[in-house]
Amino acid sequence: MLNSIMKTKLFAWVDQRTGADAIIKSQLTEYAVPKNLNYMWNFGSLALLVLVLQILTGIFLAMYYKPSAAFTSGGYTVAFDSVERIMRDVNFGWLIRYMHAVGASAFFFVVYMHIGRGLYYGSYKGPRELLWIIGVVILLIMQGAAFFGYLLPWGQMSFWGATVITNLFGALPVIGEYLQQVLRGGFAVGDPTLNRFFSLHYLFPLLLAAIVGGHVHALHVVHSNNPEGIDVHNAEEKINFHPYYTVKDAFGVGVFLLFYCYIVFFNPQMGGFFIEVDNYVPANNLQTPPHIAPVWYLTPWYTILRSFPDKLLGVVAMGASLGILFLLPFLDRSKVRSSRYRPIFRQMVVLFFVTVIILGYCGHSAPTPTLKLVGQIATAYYFAFFILLLFLPKFEKTKPLPDHI
Amino acid sequence: MSEQVDQSKRNMLFGAAGLLGGVAALAAAVPFVGSMLPAADTLAASKTEFDVGTVESGQLVVIQWQGKPVFVVNRTKELLAQIDGHDEMLKDPESREIEAVSAAWMTDENRKYRAIKPEYLVVVASCTHLGCIPMYKATKGRKDWGDSVPEDWPGGWHCPCHGSLYDISARVINDSPAPHNLHLMPYKYTGETSVVIG
Ligand code: FES
Repeated sequence: MLNSIMKTKLFAWVDQRTGADAIIKSQLTEYAVPKNLNYMWNFGSLALLVLVLQILTGIFLAMYYKPSAAFTSGGYTVAFDSVERIMRDVNFGWLIRYMHAVGASAFFFVVYMHIGRGLYYGSYKGPRELLWIIGVVILLIMQGAAFFGYLLPWGQMSFWGATVITNLFGALPVIGEYLQQVLRGGFAVGDPTLNRFFSLHYLFPLLLAAIVGGHVHALHVVHSNNPEGIDVHNAEEKINFHPYYTVKDAFGVGVFLLFYCYIVFFNPQMGGFFIEVDNYVPANNLQTPPHIAPVWYLTPWYTILRSFPDKLLGVVAMGASLGILFLLPFLDRSKVRSSRYRPIFRQMVVLFFVTVIILGYCGHSAPTPTLKLVGQIATAYYFAFFILLLFLPKFEKTKPLPDHI
Repeated sequence: MSEQVDQSKRNMLFGAAGLLGGVAALAAAVPFVGSMLPAADTLAASKTEFDVGTVESGQLVVIQWQGKPVFVVNRTKELLAQIDGHDEMLKDPESREIEAVSAAWMTDENRKYRAIKPEYLVVVASCTHLGCIPMYKATKGRKDWGDSVPEDWPGGWHCPCHGSLYDISARVINDSPAPHNLHLMPYKYTGETSVVIG
């Protein structure tokens, strides 16, 4: 079908002025991809889909959302009421808001799967170091965007989450207090904070879209890794992205939408995992809810923060736990990429996934001494994983790599 | 392998998938476009109650209905007398040209008043040219208004934007850029002087 479009006169006219023919060929119809990618490789295109969904639904929500902490005659605030108005009065407002809120969780789920695949199959290794680093930048911007967005409904969780996180920055020496005031626009989270978070929540996805462009471009320069983790040179080992992987990605989109729509329509709050119950209580700066925890996708890092008795140390550890991802391509110097041929790494990385889930569980639950200990052990392994990678090549006996896929 | 591809079958599958995808995309557009239509609370605010008895005789007040301005005038005997005698100056003296300028309750006798009770005129205050709010210049002639109005001014409204003129029944005067008389909106009396607009 694309072929016949590309033979039309109109296309020739556009091509002369844009070079569209060469772009389509080099990026789609003649862009060679290893033929053995498994379904774990679907999550990249899914992430792109969710990003588009988030931007689209966000634009429509912004037509009705009002970022103001001013009180209304009903005793609530303008922001809180505007969200409730979206839920009750705006046509399909409930649907668009649930799509957006569920989309945030879906985005992180998809991206965490994508990152996990990169870890397991060694996609971060040369020549894809920069591709990985751009990906980590994307993760950080996503977390920022999610954090800013979470303040907007101006509920109890919004308010106290923002209070806690902005206080984190206050823990930094020298610049801490200054930084905190820059973020808050005042001495506590309030109306100015809400306004600037809305502005930034609108800005970050634009950054994201641009950097995702860079991520895809970098991918198309170094090409996809594959489950075997070996370089593919033979033409018989590759197939063109279009139509083969566009069709496979489209199938993945269908499966994804099935789950996404089920959650949006039947279980949008996911028992308080996707939209926390406390956030239906309007923000009250004089009363903290009894149990406060971030949304599930931020809880692993929250546990790392809580695992240290010293405030500054906790903040630094949390920063380091994300920052160390940048260094991963340089810490792991084994020549073999895929876990399939690295027996010890395979166990380590699976344990790492389990650890992150445990960290997430601990961060989501109310703190108890046992959970605290579990969290500390998990935190220790989280960092140990990266440090051990440094020494792993010295004693790991890798399996022989196949010649071709 | 490529020799054995059944192109027509493949095209049929592409077409079917594309068609269904297009239907799905259209369906997905429904909530988004729908969300931009007036929300339920906006629709609920579509009626306005007003007590026309609060308007002093000879005076005009501007009230809001669905966010639009509405003129309510308490027309004295003198003002009502100004309605007659200049039909040849009007584009549509009988208010028949379009539906928006007439109403079901209009009879041949009260047509010229354009009001259920002649003394209270209730009309949409947007100039039918491009929507400005005309200025109330009720008295006859140039005595009060200077040369902003014509010499044979019957009294009524003068639009500041592009100079449209309306008489005291809000009927547009010849040579104005505005095409029609000021629009009427549905309203009814629920008491002696209480009116529900919308
Ligand atoms: S808007 Fe009144 S004359 Fe143009």
